[in-house]
Amino acid sequence: MRGKVSRKTILSFIGPAVIGLALVGIAPLLYALWTSLHFFNLTQLRRVEFIGLENYWTVLTDGAFWQAMGRTFFLLGTALPLQLALGLMIALVLHQPGLTLLKTLARLSLVLPMATTYAVVGLLGQVMFNQKFGVVNQLLGGADINWIGDPTNAFIMIIFWDVWQWTPFVALVLLASLTMVPGEIEEAARLETKSKWTVLRYVQLPYLLPGLVAVLILRTADTLKLFDMVFTLTRGGPGASTEFISLMIQRVGFRAFDQGLASAQAIILLIITIILAQNYIRVFYKEVN
Amino acid sequence: MAARSGQGPLWGQIILLSLILLVCVFPFYWMVTTSLKTQIVALEAPPVWVFEPTLANYREALFDDGVLRTLVNSLIIAICTTALAILLGVPAAFALARFEFRGKKDLWFWFITNRMVSPIVLALPFFLIARNLGLLDKHITLILIYLTFNLPIVIWIVTDQFRGIPYDLDEAARLEGASQFRIMRSICLPLAMPGIAVSGIFSFIFSWNELMFGLILTRTDAKTAPAMAVSFMEGYNLPYGKIMATSTLIVIPVLIFALLASKQLVRGLTMGAVK
Amino acid sequence: MRLRHLLATTVLSTGLATAALADSDWSLAEAAAPYAGTTVDVVFLLRPGYEAIEAMLPAFEEETGIKINIIKHPYENALGEQVRDFVAQGDLDIALIDLVWIGNFAENEWIVPVDEIQAKFPDAVDPDLDMDDFFPLVLNAFGGWNDTIYGLPFDNYSGLLFYNRCMLEEAGFDGPPETWADLKDVYGPALTKDGKYAYALQSKRNETQSADSFARMLWPFGGSFLDDEFRSNLLSDESQAGLQFRQELMAYMPDGIVAYDHAETVNAFAQGDVAMITEWSAFYSTVVSPETSSVADCVEIAPEPMGPAGRKPALGGFSLAVASQADDDEQAAAWLFIQWATSKANAREYLERGGVPARQSVYQEDGLEDFKFVPALVESWQDGVPEFRPRFAEWPEITEIVQEWGTRMMLGEVTTEEGAQEIGTRMEAVLDAAGYYSGDKPLAQ
Repeated sequence: MRGKVSRKTILSFIGPAVIGLALVGIAPLLYALWTSLHFFNLTQLRRVEFIGLENYWTVLTDGAFWQAMGRTFFLLGTALPLQLALGLMIALVLHQPGLTLLKTLARLSLVLPMATTYAVVGLLGQVMFNQKFGVVNQLLGGADINWIGDPTNAFIMIIFWDVWQWTPFVALVLLASLTMVPGEIEEAARLETKSKWTVLRYVQLPYLLPGLVAVLILRTADTLKLFDMVFTLTRGGPGASTEFISLMIQRVGFRAFDQGLASAQAIILLIITIILAQNYIRVFYKEVN
Repeated sequence: MAARSGQGPLWGQIILLSLILLVCVFPFYWMVTTSLKTQIVALEAPPVWVFEPTLANYREALFDDGVLRTLVNSLIIAICTTALAILLGVPAAFALARFEFRGKKDLWFWFITNRMVSPIVLALPFFLIARNLGLLDKHITLILIYLTFNLPIVIWIVTDQFRGIPYDLDEAARLEGASQFRIMRSICLPLAMPGIAVSGIFSFIFSWNELMFGLILTRTDAKTAPAMAVSFMEGYNLPYGKIMATSTLIVIPVLIFALLASKQLVRGLTMGAVK
Repeated sequence: MRLRHLLATTVLSTGLATAALADSDWSLAEAAAPYAGTTVDVVFLLRPGYEAIEAMLPAFEEETGIKINIIKHPYENALGEQVRDFVAQGDLDIALIDLVWIGNFAENEWIVPVDEIQAKFPDAVDPDLDMDDFFPLVLNAFGGWNDTIYGLPFDNYSGLLFYNRCMLEEAGFDGPPETWADLKDVYGPALTKDGKYAYALQSKRNETQSADSFARMLWPFGGSFLDDEFRSNLLSDESQAGLQFRQELMAYMPDGIVAYDHAETVNAFAQGDVAMITEWSAFYSTVVSPETSSVADCVEIAPEPMGPAGRKPALGGFSLAVASQADDDEQAAAWLFIQWATSKANAREYLERGGVPARQSVYQEDGLEDFKFVPALVESWQDGVPEFRPRFAEWPEITEIVQEWGTRMMLGEVTTEEGAQEIGTRMEAVLDAAGYYSGDKPLAQ
């Protein structure tokens, strides 16, 4: 087993990271906690006053906040399954032998979307999905689909780009997990059964699970944080149809300048994120320690 | 995508793989070609595929609007924050993987939680703190704040890597009296390299691509490239060609980097799938 | 530098009595001499009026030795950028103020009144400043708050009706609509066909929605945001009539109009897809230039149509004011720049380079036939509604509310009554918190 390690050694390994993260992570968080309990408007700094939980009450009873939250989870609920299904399919295909050149090319091309600057994805979306001069409508056979100006279409467009950008990530994580399956076990299993499904379910899945959980956690967190791409593509419009939670907080905090309210929104969001992450880990990721 | 025998499935694979390639690459093709169009050509409906390319958008973006400087800023910030995250993160990951201490699980969870904090939560407090310290519009400010999402990624990935390294390897070294630091450096580090590389690649990509803090905490001196691209989005007149030229300039370096590192990416992205 | 400044101020204070005499030979170069080498930071937008001044800038910098450091932002970022800079006691020496920001900037004392600057730097005041030459409406609305003038009008807009004469003639009209009702009921059906539309109203969910779309339909029908007690007036018959009219008018606008910002609207007009738009004067150069417009020869300008309550064209624009956070040298240099950029002497060149000055004198000059927008512009600046959008400090919060519910109204997600109800409740909550109802704050907008 592991040997005893002195407190000092542990601290010297872990201390710098903890201090670093505490300084840049915790201090601002405490500050946000403080502002969330105050009337704190950037354009009315002379009127800063303690108002207790009023901001939280306002947020919790604001229908628009919960609508934005609902939209965010709806996006997660539609985009994530697509990413998982497509990602798994791609990973399984890439995992098979043969067609080496094409597979190498495909693997290389998968790296591109996930490395692309999120804000650029949104800008690209504006150009490609424009109703008049956009190439997407042209490729759809001269369709006249109003992507950016129609609430439903705009949402579909956001899903498209989210899937485009993050399916490769899922695929690569799962591909890496598949390569961890010892070759002889996989071979043996294939001799036993012809069913690809059985192999996947009983041989490969245990290896895929940690990767899937990691994807689940990261994608959930990133969807709750989703800002850049939507900001440059629709800015939350039309109407409020693509106003996800992070866009709403940015709007309240940096456009209406009500930082107190925005902090309260952000902290509620953080609590929801932590609860979710904790549950993911509890349910799927028991072997964390 | 079924069996490896028979012609049909192979064709299925070929079609699927080509489709992946096409879908992944086409937007970049469109970005680059649009960046070579004049505004009038860019606005032609339906869009044209053959036209006389011009480099005017690049000239304007790079030299008149100062995109070049913002690219340099982004590069400095991404490299520094990646180095710092690895420097701080790898020892911490080693401790989390190898040492027993109280509150370890909570500490791990706390590290990971930082990755989930919406940057908007931190944006204003960080702005006000930076103002008080005179750190607005400085590279160091962004380098530090990018730690909040890069350090957790490094710790997460590298902890998993260390955990996958058999204990008997360092047992022998310990019996010979090697310090923990020595064990980490000469035995575990080389074996964890793929994971460290991946976490570094991710740190770099995340930092390079970040927009929100770049917008709020910088103005001119430390302005980052994504913040620059967004600043052309005037509702009065959207210069599509120039926006795409700037986008291309931002994306090309990170794409090249990612392609060069793609081998590491595929090997190291196991995210804890170790047995 | 400091010594020179000290000298200058001593000379100034001892020479105050003679200053009046020296008026006639005031020169920019001399007035700027004490501040040569000073750098002035200012936010500019990516719009024609700013490009015009930028092109003229080398002359100013050469004459004065003052360096103007321009930080460019799109409109939608400009407010946040400046607010953060002022809160942080940052580098900006000049505030660029949209008319709806002035209450906010003034109440925070981020900007210095013109009187104070003139008293502080008498030698920097151009005897030809002639404040009375600015259109009074424009000066008061863009630069004034609570009877104090803070900024000088710089980038000035009035809403105008741009129409495509060729399309109208083809449909049998020999002139533009006089009233909004005509535009909808007569011109609308006749001009909307074969993928072309009679009209487009920029309505994107940002300031465009509140300023260009929502407010534009409110006022001509006798509606307004607030009543005399500062309660919401959006449920009044007049306001509802205007908002309802906007819904009906959408039948003659392109699909997805709620995603149209200025760029899309002007573009639709310039490509000949839309026969009429109501847009700011600043777009004139875009729609008449063959490089950006395929209908350049057909463009004509008229005042905005009338509603039951008369002609109430949209009013918007920017003034420049000296920032209180700047030090003395920067303040003086900033003032010299503002004064120069908005001066009578430079108005003509500014106009010719694509800007729209707010000087009455320049529009009386000869040879302005090429600028077809001038008559309509001058007419609309004779009288207008300064509180077209309320200019008080709370506007940034209220506009966000209007933007959200205004677009949802247009999309049909809520009725005009429901939307007005939502905006009203939320708007009153903001005004209540600000202290208007308890009497803590005077009812100024």
